[in-house]
Amino acid sequence: MGGPLDEPDGNWWDNPVNRRESIWLGIAGAWSLAIFGWMSGFTRFGDQNPIGQTYEVDPDAYQQRVAAYKEEADETEEGRLLPPGDSVYVGGRRFDWDGLPVVLEAGREYDIHLGAYDVQHGFSVRPEENLSKQINLQVFPGNEWVVPMTFEEPGTYRVICNEFCGRGHNSMSGHFVVEEA
Amino acid sequence: MKGAIKHLFGNEYDSDGFRTCSITGLEVHESVENHVKLFALTAVVAMAIGGAFAITVAGTRWELLSLLPEDGYYTHLSMHAWNILIFWMVFMEIAVLYVGGPMVLGRRLPLTKVAKAGWVIMVAGAVGVNYSIWTATESGGEAPLLTAYVPLDIPWLFYATAVLFLLGATVAALPFFVTIWKEKRGAPNKTLPLVVFGAFITSIIAVEAILGGIAAFGYALIWRLGIIESVNAGLYRQLYWIVGHGTQQINLLAMITVWYFLTHVVGGAVVASEKVSRSAFILYLFFINLGAAHHLMVDPGLSAGWRIFNTSYAFYGAAFASMIHAFAIPAGLEAGRRQRGLGGGLFGWLTSAPWKSPVFSSTIFSIILFGFVGGITGVLMGQMQLNMTWHNTYATVGHFHGTVALGTTLAFWGLLFFAIKTMFRRDYASGVLASAIPYLYAATMGLAVLMMMYIGILYGVPRRISSVVENVPGSEFSLSAAEPLFFILGPATLLAVLTGALFVLVAVGSLLFGDRLGDGDDGGLLPEKGLRTDGGSVHAIEMRGTFTLCLIFLATFVALYALNWFLLVQVWQIGA
Ligand code: HEM
Ligand SMILES: [Cu+2]
Repeated sequence: MGGPLDEPDGNWWDNPVNRRESIWLGIAGAWSLAIFGWMSGFTRFGDQNPIGQTYEVDPDAYQQRVAAYKEEADETEEGRLLPPGDSVYVGGRRFDWDGLPVVLEAGREYDIHLGAYDVQHGFSVRPEENLSKQINLQVFPGNEWVVPMTFEEPGTYRVICNEFCGRGHNSMSGHFVVEEA
Repeated sequence: MKGAIKHLFGNEYDSDGFRTCSITGLEVHESVENHVKLFALTAVVAMAIGGAFAITVAGTRWELLSLLPEDGYYTHLSMHAWNILIFWMVFMEIAVLYVGGPMVLGRRLPLTKVAKAGWVIMVAGAVGVNYSIWTATESGGEAPLLTAYVPLDIPWLFYATAVLFLLGATVAALPFFVTIWKEKRGAPNKTLPLVVFGAFITSIIAVEAILGGIAAFGYALIWRLGIIESVNAGLYRQLYWIVGHGTQQINLLAMITVWYFLTHVVGGAVVASEKVSRSAFILYLFFINLGAAHHLMVDPGLSAGWRIFNTSYAFYGAAFASMIHAFAIPAGLEAGRRQRGLGGGLFGWLTSAPWKSPVFSSTIFSIILFGFVGGITGVLMGQMQLNMTWHNTYATVGHFHGTVALGTTLAFWGLLFFAIKTMFRRDYASGVLASAIPYLYAATMGLAVLMMMYIGILYGVPRRISSVVENVPGSEFSLSAAEPLFFILGPATLLAVLTGALFVLVAVGSLLFGDRLGDGDDGGLLPEKGLRTDGGSVHAIEMRGTFTLCLIFLATFVALYALNWFLLVQVWQIGA
């Protein structure tokens, strides 16, 4: 009796629940609420949140915006862009990152504008000498996503595309450099 | 050929077409049994095809071997994903519905013609999907991978046949719904057995997933055919993940239903509390679909509030449900075995269990590994901020191989090992190999999954790419620091595929050459002291072994949670 293949006997709803099972229900419920609370609270007190303004924008219009920004930016001897203000534009396209490489100042907050011209791409970033500090954001045509970022540590940061964007995706990479101000 | 088929489908039934199962005691009708076999055998074929592609996929990701160039890699990866995640699992799930509905209820399968039509449509859809993946790049397009994201240049035929497959699955599920309807009409006040209840909730969630899939692939299809001019990538992602994640929820619920079933029939489990287990299924019904949003955690255009509410299944309603099953299922086993006096002490009920039976060991490894590996990581990467460190890395691949490749696949292997004896009435062609397979697979795949996670999180190695560790084409940079771990991952993945092949070999070998089991022979499956206990109240029995295991689980969960957040806060400042 009492197997999962049988119709339960009588008024099964009123059968008492084992004491330890009840305690576990309490623990599991509390843990569920706790991790919800942490995730939600972290948007207020935390420093790493995938949150920023988004705008709908035609992919061509976004490409022009990036072109205008590049026009305005200075270039270093190595051919890297120096952003004219706090805004940095990056456009994903098969198979490179338009707007990279760029030179940023350490400790300064930039608005990183992310968008794509053709298909979906993945903006995957890490400093060259510490691969475990890495983050990944989705990029797709039709949206411009403005995510503020502040890089404290100088160095070369590598960008890899981590969303499949067609044959050639393997070679879609770029970088930027963070320099002491 | 005809002889072989007759041999597979040839049990003895009485004049009404029923026979009594010598293990479960169920009255099994010929119509149900034969259709379960049909769908399960088809599933194994799909698994074998998808598994074969795991060799080239894994052998390419291990860049020491670099089996395939970039071009072929995406094609093979798409073949792996669709055959093994979609076709292996969905064909099995139709079989699970037929077991969990008409078989457990002791009814005939209604509408057998509809069931067969469903099978034909599903097979046609699956063949079409395979064909369009295989030819996608020849015709200048791109392979779809699992997700077929727009606006990639993916052949329209792919979307069309994917829709066809989903329609076929709906048709094949109809006889199940009719069974439940007939059962309820006959006796509206009767309560469905727990396994039937679980299968029923699974089927509702399946319908929701399929509707989402038809919407997503239909949307992409009319765009590919030029009926609409443009397509919105963000909208497609939202629609796609209703089915992309929805099918994973079907896998989860079908697997949990199988857990309740198999721990009972081979381990002697009882139901610890009908109320608690059924409430957990109801929580799934309400909340689990919201979880599809966790694929959109680092997408633009979605508010943080929307993302947090949905990814948490509304305050973790569905994660709570899973933690309930995580207690209820081992507790049922503990209570059932203690009631029979099998094993004392804290864990005697577990150590005295039939560990040599591949049905039992597959089920238990499935439960443990799904929970500890797949489940915990799923909640971690589903937290909006942590998702930034997991999204599209190899760790993601680790997570879902922990769920579907370890958890669900092992549970379904358990069910097949069970069906070989109970439905095909054959002994295993090799008992030793059959016993060893769950251990080998749990070990190799378990190791592979852990390595995938380390490689993804600690070295940021992306998924879906064939060259990034030894060299990133066109760049002086590479992720070569991760290379040593590939010397563990590579062999582990290849051994896991080999174990899969061994499973197919033993399963097919048993069907063809296994000794026929005589009438009433239980093939050694029945738990000691029979399937049914003499009753007494379950709630009063000690469940301290289970409680201890659950506390270990919670401690692991808390530790991994803290570790992941610790890693995240090392990263530079991001976000408004
Ligand atoms: C025998 C063992 C298996 C091995 C060695 C294996 C290996 C792999 C590898 C290396 C990847 C590719 C990673 C990448 O480049 O992104 C992959 C992807 C995948 N695997 Fe497996 N796998 C196995 C079994 C399974 C099973 C049983 C399932 C499902 C039930 C499964 C479902 C998937 C899916 C859905 C993908 C993702 C495809 C995509 O990105 O579109 N695998 N597998
Ligand atoms: Cu790309």
